[in-house]
Amino acid sequence: MIQDITIILDSASRLAAPLLFVALGEMVAERAGTLNISVEAMMLGSAFGGALGSSVTGSPVLGLLIGIAVGLVVAVVQALLSHRFTINQFVVGLALNILVLGSTSFLLASIDMIPLQFGTWSIPVLSEIPLVGQALFEQKPPFFLLYALIPLIWWVLWRSRWGLEIRAAGEDPDSSTITGIPVNRRRRQAIYLCGALAGLGGAYLSVGVIGAFTPNMTAGRGFIAIAAVIFGGWTIRGTVLGCLLFAWADALRLALPAIGVTITPQVLISAPYLLALLAMLLFARGKRQPAALGRTFAPGKA
Amino acid sequence: MPPEPANPGDEAPEEAQAEPDQHEPGRSEPEQSPNASAREPRALLTVERATKVYGRIVACDAVSLAVDAGEIRGLLGQNGAGKSTLMKMVSGVVRPDGGRVLLDGSQLPPGDPIAALEAGIGMVHQHFSLVRALTVWENVALGERGRIRSAEAIDRVVEIGERYGLPIDPRARVEDLSPAQRQRVEIIKCLRQDPRLIILDEPTSVLTSQESRVLFDVLREMVNRRGCAVVLISHRLEEILRATDRVTVLRDGRAISTIATGTATAASLANEMLGREASLEDEGAAIGLVAVQERRDPGGTHEGPAEPADRAAASAAPSDAEEAVALQVENLSARGPDGRRLLEGLSLRVGRGEILGVAGVEGNGQDALVELLSGLLAPEAGRVMVSGREIPLGRPDPHSTIGVIPSDRRESGSVLDMTVAENLVLNQLDRVMRRGVIIPRLVRRRARQLVRQFDITAASMDAPMWSLSGGNQQRVVLARELSRNPAVLLAAQPTQGLDVGAIEDMWARLSNVARDGTAVLLISTELDEILALADRIDVIHRGTIVGSMDSAAVDHERLGLMMGGQAA
Repeated sequence: MIQDITIILDSASRLAAPLLFVALGEMVAERAGTLNISVEAMMLGSAFGGALGSSVTGSPVLGLLIGIAVGLVVAVVQALLSHRFTINQFVVGLALNILVLGSTSFLLASIDMIPLQFGTWSIPVLSEIPLVGQALFEQKPPFFLLYALIPLIWWVLWRSRWGLEIRAAGEDPDSSTITGIPVNRRRRQAIYLCGALAGLGGAYLSVGVIGAFTPNMTAGRGFIAIAAVIFGGWTIRGTVLGCLLFAWADALRLALPAIGVTITPQVLISAPYLLALLAMLLFARGKRQPAALGRTFAPGKA
Repeated sequence: MPPEPANPGDEAPEEAQAEPDQHEPGRSEPEQSPNASAREPRALLTVERATKVYGRIVACDAVSLAVDAGEIRGLLGQNGAGKSTLMKMVSGVVRPDGGRVLLDGSQLPPGDPIAALEAGIGMVHQHFSLVRALTVWENVALGERGRIRSAEAIDRVVEIGERYGLPIDPRARVEDLSPAQRQRVEIIKCLRQDPRLIILDEPTSVLTSQESRVLFDVLREMVNRRGCAVVLISHRLEEILRATDRVTVLRDGRAISTIATGTATAASLANEMLGREASLEDEGAAIGLVAVQERRDPGGTHEGPAEPADRAAASAAPSDAEEAVALQVENLSARGPDGRRLLEGLSLRVGRGEILGVAGVEGNGQDALVELLSGLLAPEAGRVMVSGREIPLGRPDPHSTIGVIPSDRRESGSVLDMTVAENLVLNQLDRVMRRGVIIPRLVRRRARQLVRQFDITAASMDAPMWSLSGGNQQRVVLARELSRNPAVLLAAQPTQGLDVGAIEDMWARLSNVARDGTAVLLISTELDEILALADRIDVIHRGTIVGSMDSAAVDHERLGLMMGGQAA
């Protein structure tokens, strides 16, 4: 039993890590006022980029960096179109999602690649802790970035001037402009950060967790990350909790057959998405979202 | 201080973009007057021939202005006279199409708010520049540069607050503050940057008269203590006369004159502001606004010239209002979606043909009362009766017997992007439909009828609502609401943002509505408005009525105290 739990927690950690990278980035973008649905594209594109990069360079680290670069490219397109040319951000996001889904599937069919995978790092002593040791301290190297990244993002958003301006831009672009904050530039920067983090998450999925790329391998995890941000009420703590919750559900689903519980596989596969829906229904109401979330801002109409 | 010569002399039409309106082409001789800085060596702010054109409208037409250090300058004009546009060009929020702005002799880059800020120009905006979800100190810090240290920022807010008599809790969220407190934050945010020039755009529109007085004291203190200059934008004669050293009058986008406030009278300013071509009625209205002030004096007669002529007739009835109660509100309590108490056992009654004024400081439950009577908010307790019958609450009723003029005619009063005709029939679609289909011919016929009846000036029936002036927009709303013959008319801030002429017109219309037998519930934060119109006055404070008085025997001091929640 204890071993079962250890295994489930470990697998949950592996599933949670990509979600966490993506959701942290998405949270910054949403705090700045962009409901950035192209995270799915960023994630899928970088999963492909990571797999291809590691295959070409022979290094999973370089693969990871190439994945981040792909995430950034998608972010640049999203940011320029939605926050320089003020095209509706959802239209841009939808288009990017479809474009990346199609192009990665197409490229996969026309390119032969042998993606590499990170080896596992095990922190001495800590990884021996019962139940959670393995889940928290015996993972692929990029996983450990999270320990620095979570407090860093918190500090940036709540303690730095940049973060204050990001939050102001997402709450009230008009007042922010009057105060002298370049709203759309801040929003673009937030999307770049989101792209880099989503790229990290996507590449981690291919070169960290799975070691391969399959068509549509993210399968909506970008959207689950958006759900986690909303579930978490646009706070770090809530977002992390949301990611863990979805990951635990996913891990449990994978573990159930092994434990001997048999449920129709189709129901199991849809479980995380149903859970996301349920969690939204129960917890996302009444949460205070950034007031200008999703609204395009065109300055100069003062 | 010597009165600056009237400005029109050095105005010549702008060569480039300002031309389309063809303003006095005869005056374009090279009268490139000795520029203002040469004439006024001590001028802190110099604006030279600033011009801004929006489409076909010239908002500012080569306006020149010189403001000295140590001076409070009033900028007076009707709505649309170009006051705000002019000052937005100074603060860099709006990029001028022509002309330049100099501070202390050095030219500011046009359309660059950050440069203006760094040069020492601070603006307190009419619609606040605060981010509601952030705290006070965060908002103040937003306007600064460099690293953020929260402890220091908090200390600074407290320190500035103490120095200038602007106490505020630095950790409070802006959205939890009253309008007066928010303005305090706005001023602190502005002072924090050590501005040499402070611009205030209609600062008193959200304040009670006591709060306004405090604000003017603070301004005087700042000017005396720091030697900075203040520009006060206003369309209220009374406060210009009270608070400024000199006043510049703007009309139709031009600076008409600059005079020492000491030599001006309300009547002379009103004349300047409205222009010679203004109708007698408009002048009367402008002076009427002043008459309200005069009525405050002890022993001043109650019948100022501003009184709508039919007022006496209307106020003859209220004593026997008992048998003719049109609107009865009993013990209404309501909470907002965030659980905050909005109304707490509020009761009031309005008789047929009576105008009940609900006076109070903004944010004391007025909005909730309007939403409740419009069916947008469900009460926790209490009921509302119209003509003795209880009406359903909590959902909008297409057959409501309460006509509502919402406080924001642009947001909830009308649909700005739809045509005048569509706006007029929006609440009576059954009248313009045949078998579920809207017949454009009927729409236009009905709209024409209402436009004639309510004397609405619009380019055409099919002109979009936003193309109308504020006064005409409000007339459209009034026409739409009255056309269904409601038993009760609820008018919330019916003249907010209107100019003097339009205010007087709306006042006359509202008294006519009451004279025709409709009960009028007038909710306003403008005491002048309530004093001019209401037969009885109820004072609202923290979601309930704390006191009531007959408008024939108003005790101003007591009224002010009740609005501040200090006496029952």
